Amino acid sequence: MMEFISSTFTSYVALFPVTLAQSLILAFVVMGIMIPFRTLHFPDLTSEGAYPLGGCVCGMLIAAGVNPALAIIAALLCGFAAGCCTAFIHLRFRIHTLLAGILMMTMLYSINLRIMGKSNLSIFGTGSVFDWAPFVTPGFPASKIIIAGIIGAGVFLALNWFFKTERGTAMRAVGANPAMAEAQGISVWVSTIGGVGLASAFSATSGALMVQSQGFADVNMGLGILINGLAALMIGEAIVGKHSVFRQLLAPFVGAIIYYQLVSLCLAAGMPPPDLKLATGLFVLAMLALPSLKRGRGGAPAREKFRE
Amino acid sequence: MLEIRSARKTFYKGQADEKVALDALDLTLQTGEFGVVIGSNGAGKSTMLNAISGAMPLDSGHILINGDDVTNTPVHKRAMRIARVFQDPMLGTAASMTVAENMLLAELRSKSRTFARGLNAKRLSDYKERLSMLGLGLEDRLDTRVELLSGGQRQSLSLIMAVGGSPDLLLLDEHTAALDPRTADLVLNATIRAVDALKLTTLMVTHNMQHAVDYGNRVIMLDAGKVKLQIGDDEKTNITVATLVDHFSVKSDAMLLGA
Ligand SMILES: Nc1ncnc2c1ncn2[C@@H]1O[C@H](COP(=O)(O)OP(=O)(O)OP(=O)(O)O)[C@@H](O)[C@H]1O
Ligand SMILES: [Mg+2]
Repeated sequence: MMEFISSTFTSYVALFPVTLAQSLILAFVVMGIMIPFRTLHFPDLTSEGAYPLGGCVCGMLIAAGVNPALAIIAALLCGFAAGCCTAFIHLRFRIHTLLAGILMMTMLYSINLRIMGKSNLSIFGTGSVFDWAPFVTPGFPASKIIIAGIIGAGVFLALNWFFKTERGTAMRAVGANPAMAEAQGISVWVSTIGGVGLASAFSATSGALMVQSQGFADVNMGLGILINGLAALMIGEAIVGKHSVFRQLLAPFVGAIIYYQLVSLCLAAGMPPPDLKLATGLFVLAMLALPSLKRGRGGAPAREKFRE
Repeated sequence: MLEIRSARKTFYKGQADEKVALDALDLTLQTGEFGVVIGSNGAGKSTMLNAISGAMPLDSGHILINGDDVTNTPVHKRAMRIARVFQDPMLGTAASMTVAENMLLAELRSKSRTFARGLNAKRLSDYKERLSMLGLGLEDRLDTRVELLSGGQRQSLSLIMAVGGSPDLLLLDEHTAALDPRTADLVLNATIRAVDALKLTTLMVTHNMQHAVDYGNRVIMLDAGKVKLQIGDDEKTNITVATLVDHFSVKSDAMLLGA
């Protein structure tokens, strides 16, 4: 028994920096999930397609010799466009947000394959933004922690500023009460399309960073990312709360860091990787079911009010 | 000035349960006039207000505000000129946002929004002052999320939000109907004071005949999607609740005779 604990602990500690680097990169997807779900009340699945989209675009550009930072910006713009399309499909054709997201991610799968021309692409050995980290030898997790951490801090500060500006407050109002927002002169279309676009831009950025980190792009790299992200978001919200702009924006980062450490701990303890999705799904289910279980039998009123 | 020209709206057109909500309705409200709209359930009062605000597109007819045809202007653009308080206190405010943030949204209704910080010190002190007029203590709860307020407090907040910035037109749809009598009085008094002080062009829907007698300078009675009766300034000083109720009963007698 003691031996099991100590071996688990050793392999967990050995993985700690790698996992931290990974979680800081994936925190952007969690942000890309949080904004539609929480701020806009627009449950959105686009991230499942936008994340590999960012990866594929970035991978192709780097393979073609483009500067890695420019490749990330290109990925971000493609993600933005994808998010705008999902929001447009919902607004224009009155299709449920979840269905609009599923349509978009399904179509993106073909688009991603078209972009790469094959299902995976190695860019191992080419330059990445992580080579630019100060003080550390490139290629080590520390360089990734520093670069992803800097970008993450920048994104956090920028969003924390934006959501308190006049325009940012208007965007939050569209999520809080669309009819009221409209009666206050706010265009629901502009805010929804812009907001969902922004969120998908973050998911794509995450994919681009991940591809540079792991040295390859794969069309299947988004599989299950949404549920992982949701699990991370819920952990983050349970820890830092969500009742202010500051806390709500902090939750994705805190959640991503803790969630991926927990996953790493489970793997170190010998959990077979294929079981991971089941475990994560059960965890998300438990978090969603908790309020209804607390209230006892007879079912709970809907936990969240979302736009149809 | 508000002009409604032969506005028509039919729900479920061509179906068995076709319902004519507005039937070539004409109405003009001069600038600074305060019209009180009465009429039985289903007369088309809410539909008329929704058509004015743009929430409900008309089948035909026109809506003009200060001479500009806004018939095809979307809700959020009309909001530059129109403020509304809904019957349901939940509809008029953003529940998960704070009192101050809601005030900010209302202040920006007729302005273009920028990337400047929304809640600055100047605005906060202005909101404090405006809310203190209600006497509900909301001025000390600027950072409270609106979902934590009572229905009456929310509705009072909606009212302060609506009258701020002197809109060209104020629309009130039974905005005190969901409140307890004391709070309803409070909200109504605040309404009357603001409308008088700011000389707001106002349409207020109510089922309370006493209010129709006491307030406003015109009573507008709707029936089956038409203006059935208007009682203007001079005559209005002489009407009583009984006269108004009579007009309702004439209608039901006619219905009885017709049946
Ligand atoms: N969204 C809608 N869909 C279908 N029918 C509607 C809709 N809104 C209103 N109606 C119908 O139009 C008619 C007028 O309704 P409206 O809500 O304008 O009446 P009202 O005068 O406001 O009545 P109340 O005093 O009960 O509020 C009613 O017969 C109603 O059933
Ligand atoms: Mg009504």
